[in-house]
Amino acid sequence: MADAAWLWLAAVGSFSGTVWLALAMPVHWAQVMSAAATRRHPALVLRCLGWLALAAALAACLSADAPTMAVLVWVMLLVPAALLVAMVLAWRPAILRCWGAAVYLRPGSSGR
Amino acid sequence: MFDTFRQAMAWVHTGFGLMLGYVLMVVFFFGTLSVFDREIDRWAVPETRFAVQPMPSFDQVLAPVFQRLRPDPDDVERTARRVAGELPDAASLPLVSLFAYTTHRDPVLLVGAEFGVPNAPLDPADDHLHVHGRAQVDPRSGEFLPENRLQIGTEFFYPMHYSLNASPAIIGYWVVGLAAMSMLAALVTGLVIHRRLLRELFTFRPRKRTQRSTLDLHNLTGVVALPFHFFFALTGLLIFAAIYLPVHDSLLQPLDRQHEVMEAARTGLPHEPAGVPAPLASVDAMVAQAKARWAQRGIPGEVGFLTIEHVGDRNGYVSVFRAGSDRVALVGEGIHFRASSGEILHEDPAPSAVHAVSEFLTGLHLQHFRHWLLRWLYVVGGLVGCVCIATGFIFFTERRKRQWALHSPQALRWVDAFAVTAVTGMVLAVLGMLVANRALPADLPARAMWEERVFWCTWLCTLLHAYVRSAALIRGEVSAAWREQCIGIAALAVLAVALNWMTTGDHLWHTVTTGYWPVAGVDASLLTVAFIAFTAAVRLDGRGAGATSTAVEPVEVSRG
Repeated sequence: MADAAWLWLAAVGSFSGTVWLALAMPVHWAQVMSAAATRRHPALVLRCLGWLALAAALAACLSADAPTMAVLVWVMLLVPAALLVAMVLAWRPAILRCWGAAVYLRPGSSGR
Repeated sequence: MFDTFRQAMAWVHTGFGLMLGYVLMVVFFFGTLSVFDREIDRWAVPETRFAVQPMPSFDQVLAPVFQRLRPDPDDVERTARRVAGELPDAASLPLVSLFAYTTHRDPVLLVGAEFGVPNAPLDPADDHLHVHGRAQVDPRSGEFLPENRLQIGTEFFYPMHYSLNASPAIIGYWVVGLAAMSMLAALVTGLVIHRRLLRELFTFRPRKRTQRSTLDLHNLTGVVALPFHFFFALTGLLIFAAIYLPVHDSLLQPLDRQHEVMEAARTGLPHEPAGVPAPLASVDAMVAQAKARWAQRGIPGEVGFLTIEHVGDRNGYVSVFRAGSDRVALVGEGIHFRASSGEILHEDPAPSAVHAVSEFLTGLHLQHFRHWLLRWLYVVGGLVGCVCIATGFIFFTERRKRQWALHSPQALRWVDAFAVTAVTGMVLAVLGMLVANRALPADLPARAMWEERVFWCTWLCTLLHAYVRSAALIRGEVSAAWREQCIGIAALAVLAVALNWMTTGDHLWHTVTTGYWPVAGVDASLLTVAFIAFTAAVRLDGRGAGATSTAVEPVEVSRG
């Protein structure tokens, strides 16, 4: 795969990872999810998903560049990702609902 | 003095932040511009708007260039004051060493040389008696570029980043070093003060009162880019460690000199000239051999840096270094040849662990790599740093506004005026300089100096404007200077783009469709800045007095 595609994947991975880590915090979960969903907060699952996505982003960075460069790209991608998450949470938190809903996706279940 | 550790840390954070925050703002902003310094050079010097060139043939192109290169008259004058007797005619001074340097972003080549001085030094300890000469060369023809062109990116914005262009420069280095140290302290103390950060990492509440949302933004921008802030302050200090702790030139000088001699013995690269003239073999053949060696080692690459020591002497040697476009560390993998025969004298071994870490740390700051995404991410990091510092200032004034309006309105106005000058004023100064660069006549004598004067004068004017228009602060409102300077930014940015079109014909559509990204990028960034500044001005106007009346109750004060 071309380097650019790996870097896109890394960007998506770091954004998703930061979204899930944000949702693992009760205050942001409440901000994003509907009242029904806020009763149960799967913090641990969200945190695991978040770190997994960040790890995947690192793997994508490593596929695109030499390790020393890849680490820099990965750390620096977290800056706009976290900033974007904060801005979306401030103005349009509903956009992040599908990341929250991803927690309820299980094989064989119908969404929630 | 303080009840809690946290209070003490808050005092350190505010004190250093207020004292050196202005310097940090300059360092961050011009550092951000320096990420694209060479692209700004292309915008500012239209004669250099051509494709990036590899290191040209030494035998064909560079050898005649070095024959024509002359010592810098200013350096000749400075050196004349350090030696006994009269200096001989500058044109007759012998060339003793030379270098040529390029990167994957340079259409022009930087060449430089040291010329020997026959006179004895006045101070016997003065063991580095040379006069220097340097020039920018068009590698396609070997022609020197006109001297009265200021490469604004690499020759003004970049030095501003680490030396504030202060004179003598050493003061600037020290002030910036102090600011970087205090930045590291501010990061640690900031974490102590706002320890609830991790729970509120992504919190930004724009609809809350100004004081609250400013603090949110300050914390957010401080934390999301914490690794960036930390590593750039640290590596910035490391790069100039030899200036801040100049032991090699003072306390440990004898050891340092002895080390040089021993290293020369170890590597076989002569430390001193033999005093016997010798011709120069084909440098192109040595370059070809170096490239073949790199390819053999699985690291094929281009030449980034080429030097010749002891030019014209039997002990002369040629060093060929590989450009570091594909990795974080800068130039390296040097291969050294005997100048008279072209035989390999020494190949740099793989760096030791300590050296590799040091190369990585300086390389990540100096960014010579070819990675456009990472370059833009550095711009984001730099701008986030600017927002962090600026919101720190705004929070400081917002918090004290009410009290200060009553007791020391002048101090309040000056602090806010300095904040305006450090934020919008600095952008205006940069834009003023770019406009001057395009508007001043091409053949104006000392054109570069005029561009610099426009920069400093614009900046001074923004300070005066910010103070004069800050009366609203006393009523608990936002100073009118913010909005007016935003309008100024929008106007000047559009003017700069228009002037570039008028004077060179390279309008944005043309540069985008022909894929000339250095100029297209600068133009597009200028228009983006104009849009953001205009939007900010409109919003500041819309909020007007209401912006902070929620933060502080309007205070009726007749003084002002």
